Amino acid sequence: MNKLLVSPSPHLHTRTSTKSLMRDVVIAMIPAVIVSVLFYGWAELLVLGVSVASCVLLEYLITKYLLNKPCTVCDMSAVVTGVLLALNLPATTPWWVVFIGAVVAIGVAKMTFGGLGQNLFNPAIVGRVFLLISFPTYMTNWAKPNGFISTAAVDAFTGATPLGIAKEGGVAAVEGLDYMDMLFCNIGGSAGELSALAILAGFVYLLARRVIKPYITLSILATVAVFSGIFWAVNPAEFTGPVFNLLTGGVLLGAVFMATDYVTSPMSNVGGIIFGVGIGLITMLVRYFGAYPEGMSFAILIMNAVVPLINKWCHSKKFGRA
Amino acid sequence: MMKTFSIGGIHPNDSKISKDCKIEVLPVPSKVYISVAQHLGAPATPIVKAGDQVKVGQVIAEPAGFISAYVHSSVSGTVKSVGPRKDIAGNNVVHIEIDVEGDEWIEGADLSDTIVTEIPEDDKATLEKIKMCGVVGLGGATFPAHVKLCPPPGSKAECLILNGAECEPYLTSDYRIMLERSKEIVIGAAIMKKVLGGCPAVIGIEENKPEAIKAMSEAVAELQKTAKGYDGISVMSLKKKYPQGGEKQLIDAVMGRQVKSGGLPISVGAVVQNVATSLAVYEAVQKNIPLITNVMTITGDCLPMENQHNYKFRIGMPLSYIAEVAGGIPEEAVKIVSGGPMMGKAIANLDATTVKGSSSLLYLTAEQTVRGVESACIRCGKCAEACPMGLEPFLLNKYARNNMMDELEENAVQDCIECGCCLYSCPANIPLLDIIRIAKGDVIRIIRTRK
Repeated sequence: MNKLLVSPSPHLHTRTSTKSLMRDVVIAMIPAVIVSVLFYGWAELLVLGVSVASCVLLEYLITKYLLNKPCTVCDMSAVVTGVLLALNLPATTPWWVVFIGAVVAIGVAKMTFGGLGQNLFNPAIVGRVFLLISFPTYMTNWAKPNGFISTAAVDAFTGATPLGIAKEGGVAAVEGLDYMDMLFCNIGGSAGELSALAILAGFVYLLARRVIKPYITLSILATVAVFSGIFWAVNPAEFTGPVFNLLTGGVLLGAVFMATDYVTSPMSNVGGIIFGVGIGLITMLVRYFGAYPEGMSFAILIMNAVVPLINKWCHSKKFGRA
Repeated sequence: MMKTFSIGGIHPNDSKISKDCKIEVLPVPSKVYISVAQHLGAPATPIVKAGDQVKVGQVIAEPAGFISAYVHSSVSGTVKSVGPRKDIAGNNVVHIEIDVEGDEWIEGADLSDTIVTEIPEDDKATLEKIKMCGVVGLGGATFPAHVKLCPPPGSKAECLILNGAECEPYLTSDYRIMLERSKEIVIGAAIMKKVLGGCPAVIGIEENKPEAIKAMSEAVAELQKTAKGYDGISVMSLKKKYPQGGEKQLIDAVMGRQVKSGGLPISVGAVVQNVATSLAVYEAVQKNIPLITNVMTITGDCLPMENQHNYKFRIGMPLSYIAEVAGGIPEEAVKIVSGGPMMGKAIANLDATTVKGSSSLLYLTAEQTVRGVESACIRCGKCAEACPMGLEPFLLNKYARNNMMDELEENAVQDCIECGCCLYSCPANIPLLDIIRIAKGDVIRIIRTRK
């Protein structure tokens, strides 16, 4: 040793990095991915592959040739966006539609704002909502789950989601649905909506690894449960109940993986609760009174826009300044 | 529930590798260089000149103001020169160079092993002794001890807190003295508590040091049984969390009171002293030995076990000499830290010498200490979660980079205690504390000019 390294304190650093955090999010999504591939087969694998590959490729090309910034592909955030986008699409989505979704997610929602850390809206949700509005036929053509081998059957057995059925036919139409089916992935919907248990496993993993705090997720779920509980108690003939609303649509997927996105959610715990309650309320308002059967994506996007305001109001409690 | 401070904090690996290494006495080198700036406040004024003969414990520099301290010779011999020499940071500071001849102590110094348990009655004389013996806080800040022990008029000490937390990873010097000098530390506490008007004293120790908790509790119990003046002293075990040993955090943990922003501990009735300071107070008051020795840890993951040490050193010993005696500097070490890895200073100059507050030579490898490349903030909020002062480092970082002084002050940048939790926690390797430290200095300067 010839020269001494001199730098200001601290001299140690945590092992947690942006990359390790993103890797943990990807690991947390694996149960949901496995379930959706098992139940939708090759079609789902294709959607996942196209989505992840195009998100990563687009991020690489844009940082390298358009922004002339250091390449950020290695931090794995594009992989997270890719998997999330895929879990939000029906397995029957054509590959080129998935690609357009990735262009909007990475190119528009993420990179135009300046890349990771700068985007106001969750890229995967922007991609999904863009597709929902632009290609409604593909996006509402929900496949009913079928075994992995029977790829042909996916096209044959398309049907509406439970929320779609409820929107069209009212509460009576969904009375026959089995909640156990919802828990164990036997319902129609976008890939990631399949199994509540798979998503909850991811949630537990994220909490255990201290990647996220529970405030946002739990306040969304609590708001959805309380809101729908009140309406359902008053008029069970017109409004669907809390268990139905928690297990259907993107509530769980959104509450666990999308609303908790660091970049687009508030920094403080109190802010997180306000954010979560807002998402829960807007979701239920869209479901009960809106034109769309599902409101989770819209709710998250609207609350994303409010995050800077929430951050401005909610500061952490300072020591000795009560 | 075990007590700890209420906001933030982190849990780095405690790495107390050298905890079982008994305290060894370092042999005196042939020459020492004693700095006159070993304490917080004005550097002391040298009162010896080249050619003077000095004894161990003799005053060689006098305080140059209210916040300043006496400096004593740690060896006997001849003063060779008085002049500037580089300290560990590479800054020029006046040092007194002494050629060592023999080991002749000043008169009155009690070098026996006898433990004096009887606490002197005269508080004024006790305080004078603490001051004359150059006792300063040994927890890091080296604030003159007698100043803290004289609460300003109108304020009253309600609790003396002895800091035995040693929350910095790697350091084990406080741990060793709590095991090997437990009684002396308790006697020091009893002396300080008497000077403060008889308030209770609490010795706070983190739960990861059960042997120290046991040793200190036994020492307290035995002294309470056999001598007078030891009532109201107790040991409190604290949950392990960094920075528990921070003054404000320790008061919060022990008393459940938060010192107001800009306020002093005494404003909530607290006086905090490190366990090593308590030992120095004992030596000064009971044994007439001025503060010329302390214990330091020689450690690091890249250091073989047989080269790990806890050394009792004398002030003025060159660090390069100590490193050599300890078995040499390991090949893999790229950085040597004086103090803990969280708040210690990286040594720029190994020819610098030990001072009263020296606490370690910590060898760190490139893999451990070289920072990663800074990437974009992902707004994870881990810095805010870690900050023990409840600040929002991500926000202060943005304001500081844009020179927004009013916003920095509104968001309490001046409250930062520079513990390093934010920078430690940042997954994007943003140099949060580096930037906040500079901004804090600027804001404090602005606040001062306003007054």
